[in-house]
Amino acid sequence: MKTQNKNITYDALVIGAGIAGGEAALNLANTGFKVLLVEKDDSVGGKMILLSKVFPTLDCSACITTPKFSEIARHPNITLFTGSQVSNIKKHGENNFTATIHKKPRYVHVEDCTACQKCEQVCPVNVKDQYQYNLVGRKAAYIPFSICSPKAAVIDIDNCTLCGACERACPTNCIDFTMEEEVYDLQVKTIVLSTGFKLFDPLKMPRYGYGVYKNVVTSMQMERLIAPTRPFNNVLRPGDGKMPDKIAYVLCTGSRDVTVGNPICSQICCMYSIKQAQLLMGALPMADVTIYYLNIRSFGKGFEEFYEQAKGMGVNFVKGKIGKITEKENGSLILRYEDINSGKLKEAEHDLVVLSVGALPNNEAKGLFADNLQLDRFNFVDQVELMTSPAKTNIDGVFVAGTASAPMDIPDTILSAGSASSEAISYLMKENAPQPPKSGVKVGQFSGC
Amino acid sequence: MAIANRKTAKILVFSTDKISDPAIDMAGLLKLHYPPTVYTIAVPCSSGIKTKWILHAYEKGFDGVFIAADGTDCVYGETCVEKTGRVIARTHEAMKSKDIDPARLRMAAICSVCSDAFVKQIRSFNEYLLKTLHPET
Amino acid sequence: MEKRIGVYICHCGGNISDYVDVEKVRQSVENDDNIVLAKTTMFACSDANQNEMVEDIKNHNLDAVIVASCSPKLHLVTFRNVTERGDLNKYTYVHANIREQASWAHADNFPAATDKTIQLVKAAIAKSRTTKALEPTKIKAERSVAVIGAGVTGMKAAITLAEKDTHVFLIEKESQVGGWVAKWKDLFMTEETGDMIVKQLHEDLKKRQNVSILLNSEVIGNVGSIGNISLKIKQKEEEFDITVGSVLVATGFEPYKPKEDEFGFGKVPNVITLPEFKQLIDHEKGKLMYNGKKVENIAYIYCVGSRQPEGGNTYCSRYCCTATIHAAIEARKKFKDIQNYHFTRGVRSYGKQELLYAESLQGGDIFLQSYEDDLPTVFARNNRPVVRINDILTGGKELEVEADLVVLVTGMAPRSNDTVGSLFKLPRGRDRFFNEVHMKLRPVETVIDGITIAGACQGPKTILESVNSALAAATKSYSNISKGVLETDPQIATIDVKACTGCGDCIPECPFDAISMVEDKGKTVAVINNTLCKGCGMCTPVCPTDAIDLVAFSNVQIMGMIDALV
Repeated sequence: MKTQNKNITYDALVIGAGIAGGEAALNLANTGFKVLLVEKDDSVGGKMILLSKVFPTLDCSACITTPKFSEIARHPNITLFTGSQVSNIKKHGENNFTATIHKKPRYVHVEDCTACQKCEQVCPVNVKDQYQYNLVGRKAAYIPFSICSPKAAVIDIDNCTLCGACERACPTNCIDFTMEEEVYDLQVKTIVLSTGFKLFDPLKMPRYGYGVYKNVVTSMQMERLIAPTRPFNNVLRPGDGKMPDKIAYVLCTGSRDVTVGNPICSQICCMYSIKQAQLLMGALPMADVTIYYLNIRSFGKGFEEFYEQAKGMGVNFVKGKIGKITEKENGSLILRYEDINSGKLKEAEHDLVVLSVGALPNNEAKGLFADNLQLDRFNFVDQVELMTSPAKTNIDGVFVAGTASAPMDIPDTILSAGSASSEAISYLMKENAPQPPKSGVKVGQFSGC
Repeated sequence: MAIANRKTAKILVFSTDKISDPAIDMAGLLKLHYPPTVYTIAVPCSSGIKTKWILHAYEKGFDGVFIAADGTDCVYGETCVEKTGRVIARTHEAMKSKDIDPARLRMAAICSVCSDAFVKQIRSFNEYLLKTLHPET
Repeated sequence: MEKRIGVYICHCGGNISDYVDVEKVRQSVENDDNIVLAKTTMFACSDANQNEMVEDIKNHNLDAVIVASCSPKLHLVTFRNVTERGDLNKYTYVHANIREQASWAHADNFPAATDKTIQLVKAAIAKSRTTKALEPTKIKAERSVAVIGAGVTGMKAAITLAEKDTHVFLIEKESQVGGWVAKWKDLFMTEETGDMIVKQLHEDLKKRQNVSILLNSEVIGNVGSIGNISLKIKQKEEEFDITVGSVLVATGFEPYKPKEDEFGFGKVPNVITLPEFKQLIDHEKGKLMYNGKKVENIAYIYCVGSRQPEGGNTYCSRYCCTATIHAAIEARKKFKDIQNYHFTRGVRSYGKQELLYAESLQGGDIFLQSYEDDLPTVFARNNRPVVRINDILTGGKELEVEADLVVLVTGMAPRSNDTVGSLFKLPRGRDRFFNEVHMKLRPVETVIDGITIAGACQGPKTILESVNSALAAATKSYSNISKGVLETDPQIATIDVKACTGCGDCIPECPFDAISMVEDKGKTVAVINNTLCKGCGMCTPVCPTDAIDLVAFSNVQIMGMIDALV
């Protein structure tokens, strides 16, 4: 039953196929290097592909991610592994790394699946849909989400009852329960670490009532409610399916808060909340949106103007600290807060509360390495030459891209991925013996240096 | 020439790929609304627009033609300004000889971020055309 | 043979379909001549739809496709590539811009936006009917890059390009490298000092054989285009040319200069700017003295030249909150008896910089915050500056601080000298910084092929962020030239020899000297040199016999589009 590990060799391993990893892989591949892009999830795209629109341009997120991932999927220099886990990374010398990759069985032959959804229709199992952030259910045989890539069904074997209904319904016979885990021994010259971030879990703050009060949702759930690939056609409150008309945002949920162990600012929540507020004003013209904040951090290009625009549209901004949220019988919520402008304790009623959850480090990064990968004091991947080579980690030849090293927005993530891939290309080119300067360029002709 | 009554004038815009078309795109992005009977054809450079095309537009029923010119920003060099000017002058002559009001052809330099300027120009052109060609509305 | 065209109308996940009846658009074109299939799609750019298009091309024997979706500036190339994957010539692809120029522009009028969309798609169909297959022009690319500006951004870009076996000309108008950072000592988020960082980068550069550092030099001329750009350099009295494949612009920023009496600047004594304050604390020792007097109370006024309600500087300068908090902490640590008062408009110490803000609070710095419509005022009393504020944080109380020194926290402004920008025709945003093509898709590229931008010339940035953008821009510049050969669109003028009378009127019109006269079958005619022609079309309107057409913008195509738009 146990098969031999397969040996594979690439120039670069990119771990994590979110927007950072995707961008880094493309940069490397476009300069001629062979890249293995490994994603542990069943679809590429990371968190960005699930977003609605992105600030401050309000482009739809899918319009930016899907063509990029489409290019990745058919790039001759990129091999993509989804549903796969990297482990045991070891450095043996410059340009010489090894790692193990476990590719878990999907129980579906991707190349034969037409995403017809017949398996979904017949599957009797109902579980929460993690891609819709538990707002709705899904089956155990399912297509992750409508714009996922690869676009193919997957069997959630942990929840599957092995009833065989999907197998019988599949018109292309692509479902195969005999598939086994494949293990690869990888040899590679450089590594880009783009393992992304985790969202703060608001269950850790019981005073906000998340998980208890149905109409308290996270910002990522709201993101799904207003995305083009949303679960419902409208923005509805989960408690009773009513359209909300007084919506509150609680900023800094799990950020800038030592009591939950995260003293730093997550950099993105102000802006995504302002964006969602603008989109909600469009989707629910009668709705009232209030953002409770400590400081608004609209620091990037075009962000301050975007904030001003939201104020102009009528979004209420209240400088205030939320103490406690309680639920009324009708499912509406009472927010007790310190109104900083007046210095008084106040209460306000809202029928939907969105917790703007912060960005935390993905603590899985360190465990991928047999060698010691250094983390910073917040457990993000440490940037050992922060000012002059922000992508460098403590292991020469391993570079960090995107939110694996710190919270950041999408424009900064793309630049960070550009930075990591640039360092990786330089590192790969160092392998070749130093070359004489190209002929045709006259060196030393200029006296400046 | 029969021109039907309209709520907004029918305007053909010649924009340029690198300079003025991005500004018109940005007008859309910022939802700066302008009359929906304004249609844009993008060309590489405003100095390459032929008189023949403009006259064809009037013949087919456009009320006005607006050239969103590159101005001094033109990627093909600053002679664009003078050459676009000559296109306009030649076309004005031809319009006069065909008894078409020369004011139905307008030109303004629209830089790549001039979305406000574009919308302002188009709105005022629309008003002029409605006033002179469709006074009933 | 009749052309077989496929049309795809994109919902753009609601960006189009919320404002336009896309199904109606589809129905109104599906029976048009040459239309073999017309479909709507949620996301035309998605992998699934792209694959479907490739299948459709094969299964329906299409010989041209049209996508009606967002601006061609975003996805023209995407769909040309799809066409190519379907084994069609990519230049047969036609794009209709129905988002930026219809659904969004007329979001206030659903029926009219729908009507306009129908006409835009019909115009694209008209164009598609007469579009011909073309071959791209191949250009040899010089394996060298000019980096303009030798601040930290430019230096880092030069190093990373040199590492990639590329010759770099690092062009700096000052007499030394390092820009603003060279003048700074302590920096936030690092133990390194500004001058150390510059020195380290400079040492690295000097070791490299394939870097030419041109000091006291300015770019004064620019001819050519991506792959082969010839720059005229003026170095002191000398002028010479260099040839590069790509240009990376890293010209940086200027600190905002307060206007006369802006928060008392130039009028009230002891009011200085943040850069002046940095110099002061970096160089003073023992006691902090200003104008011969010991400094104890320092008032910092934030957002000077940033977040202004009117005028050009409506943007946030990003670095200054943290830079000021850091400078204030340094001042308190280095000198005795310092009390810092921060007059903020909301502190923006984003990310890990938050810890500095916490440190500052713990150390006893006092933070006040003004109302947005009621900024603090600075005036003189007994020859000493006083700052008055209605403070949000104490519930609107009017407070006064008598300071020994007032520091205006000046933001980053774009360079007032626009030589480089105008030379390369770089577009600027509303904030007057150089504009990227797209903040997320192409954040370091400009609309001018082969010209990339990095660092604070694109918008305010910290050192770390500038370095990331330098590396990202270097990667793009490098990928422009790394293959040695570049493909560009075959957008050129063509001459109908039969109609040409050889009058020569077109010759002086061409800015690139691409037209000459030759003998052809006993008659003198104009001929276009395809490698010099840039496809601007300037020659086309002057031809008395209308013998010149621009490829993809021919009379038939443009007039066909006009017919469809009426």
